[in-house]
Amino acid sequence: MPTFPTSDESVGAACGVACHALVEAPLADIPQLRDGPVPPGGGTLPPRFLRHADEQTVVGMRAVLEAIAVRRAGPIAGAETDFSTYGVVSAPCQPGRVAAAHSFALFGSGGPVTVSPHIVPQCSLHSIAGAVSVALGMHGPNIGTSGGPQALGEGLLASLTLLNTGPAATHATPGIWFVATAWDGEPALDREGRPQERSFDPPICVAVAVALTAAATATASRLVLRVAAGCTMPRQPKTATRPADAIRRFAAALSAIQSNADVAGRWSHTLPGIGELRLVPAVAAPRRREAA
Amino acid sequence: MTVASPSTEPVVITGVGAVSPLGNGFAAIADGLLAGCSGVRAIDPGAAVREHRQFAAPVAEIPPPPEGYGLDDATFAGLGRLGRLCTSQVAHALVDAGLRPAADRLRIGLVLGLGAEHLKIWESDFLAGGSLVFEPHCDDTLVHRVAGLLHLHGPAVTVAAACASSGYALAIARGWLRAGWVDACVAGGCDVLGPTGLAAFYNLRALSRRSDDPALASRPFDRDRDGFVMGEGGACLVLERRSAARDRGSRIYGELAGVGMSSDAAHMVTPCSDPTEAARAISMALCDAGITAGQIDYVNAHAAGTPVGDVAEAGALRLALGPAVDAVPVSSTKSMSGHLVSGAAAFEVVACLAAIDRQAVPPTVNLDHPDPQCPLDHVPHTARDRRVHVTASNSFGFGGSNLCLVIRRAA
Repeated sequence: MPTFPTSDESVGAACGVACHALVEAPLADIPQLRDGPVPPGGGTLPPRFLRHADEQTVVGMRAVLEAIAVRRAGPIAGAETDFSTYGVVSAPCQPGRVAAAHSFALFGSGGPVTVSPHIVPQCSLHSIAGAVSVALGMHGPNIGTSGGPQALGEGLLASLTLLNTGPAATHATPGIWFVATAWDGEPALDREGRPQERSFDPPICVAVAVALTAAATATASRLVLRVAAGCTMPRQPKTATRPADAIRRFAAALSAIQSNADVAGRWSHTLPGIGELRLVPAVAAPRRREAA
Repeated sequence: MTVASPSTEPVVITGVGAVSPLGNGFAAIADGLLAGCSGVRAIDPGAAVREHRQFAAPVAEIPPPPEGYGLDDATFAGLGRLGRLCTSQVAHALVDAGLRPAADRLRIGLVLGLGAEHLKIWESDFLAGGSLVFEPHCDDTLVHRVAGLLHLHGPAVTVAAACASSGYALAIARGWLRAGWVDACVAGGCDVLGPTGLAAFYNLRALSRRSDDPALASRPFDRDRDGFVMGEGGACLVLERRSAARDRGSRIYGELAGVGMSSDAAHMVTPCSDPTEAARAISMALCDAGITAGQIDYVNAHAAGTPVGDVAEAGALRLALGPAVDAVPVSSTKSMSGHLVSGAAAFEVVACLAAIDRQAVPPTVNLDHPDPQCPLDHVPHTARDRRVHVTASNSFGFGGSNLCLVIRRAA
């Protein structure tokens, strides 16, 4: 079994959590969200920006815009609302399946001329990150991560890597918008790539957007990576959580820790091969120790 | 509670596993690049599109992992083309570095740059008559399958930034090593050709339509360029801290000395004509490496051969390097390899390592008439012998991703 040393050296990385938002959208509601993704106080987007976007991009973008609205209206004095130097890390789970199925069906019947040129930029692993970066003018690095059931952990690990171990300090990324998305009930598609109607248990696209900051100021909580010693971590977690539920639990923990510090440490997420992630109150934020 | 600052110890490259249109492995690829060989040729993309003459830069053969990895032929064959490419590159990189994951009890990480793994797997299944794309499912990703097959016990992550994907994989891996989270890390990426991907890029008007002589189609920086040529393959590299590599007596190909990253935040597809952010990534990489523009001996350009992108990159280089740009040889090896998309950035790091190893700059073939809008010190047609200690490699991708890596001869 993995063990987590309690000494200072076990903390491999940490960052602040400035704000977050969780959005859940049934498949049937996504067209409306695509046309009008901006909530009150959430800023503006270029006209029809999401018209070719994958469903997970639409819901992920809405989550970012809601989190920005929360930040702007939030109680934390000095809270940053200019995100132009931030990077974006997205962590979708199998993005683009609906568009890909439709595109393959057209290709099968009509040949290459029918293939949409949008499938590459809009259905790739980094499409959410690219869209958020472009739409909101964020000039830090933008990358996609994972694409599979371990997306939440992989995306958070990549975010912590960029914030803690990137280029020299003068060029360090000050913050990352982290966006994790997944379907709760993947849509079933017909042979033309159209989602099949389900009167019960409809597919729901779930997204959480979190502003992670390198600095500890003006944040309610911290995300901490604890590194396990030796090669003792299992390759896979013993009990796999459904990606949508993992996102919901993470968002719930973020909300809880903002309102009640007593829940600190109840959320953890195993990262196979390295250790685990935990949330702690900002008052217990780790200090940086210079390397010997 | 404190967090240790990342180490500043150099991170070096000790193993290369590369499968490409120019051949497999470091020596064959270096030979091909410096000889000005082209991997571009006419291809048969399958019955559905056979009426169109198509060309690309395909991989001829994917070598299986060396014996001793416990992978039988059936398991390897069952991985699919993308899985076989990844597994082969990672295994051969480890062998080249002299690492034995199962026996050495090292925490070896894996970072793969794969821009659209799921699209490739669904496409392959669909073309074989399957229905995977239509059915709800949630399968594990290749990076975890490869890590499991090759007994890698460290963290494993897939990253994507379109054509810069495998370069970001190297940047993440360097971060893990500097943080001390892994003992060694394999990082890189690859891509495979597929008919719907070819069609999508063609319909996007991003591909060259010069089908009369495929080997002449990829012509970065040339006045008559008309788009890029898709290729497949890529590279995976073993990264280690320099002290560990020296302790093991490893061959050190070079040091991953600098990383610069930025986003244009301008358009999802079209390259940004304003070079500011691309130049910022280049400047950031030089600063991170602690070097000045005048110290660069070679730039491997992203230059895919698109009319807008090549001009934008020339502007970014001029803005970032200033007057020193006139004395820095610049070439695009995509003129020979085609554009390996997700695998391009890592493959082009191999091209930089080849320049350092052979003390010669690989050429831009087909550069008959340099575009006056791209005023650089080009290396047309044939390699140029020169001292090469410090190199820079640019990668730019859809979504406005900019990446520059500085690779230098290990001290």
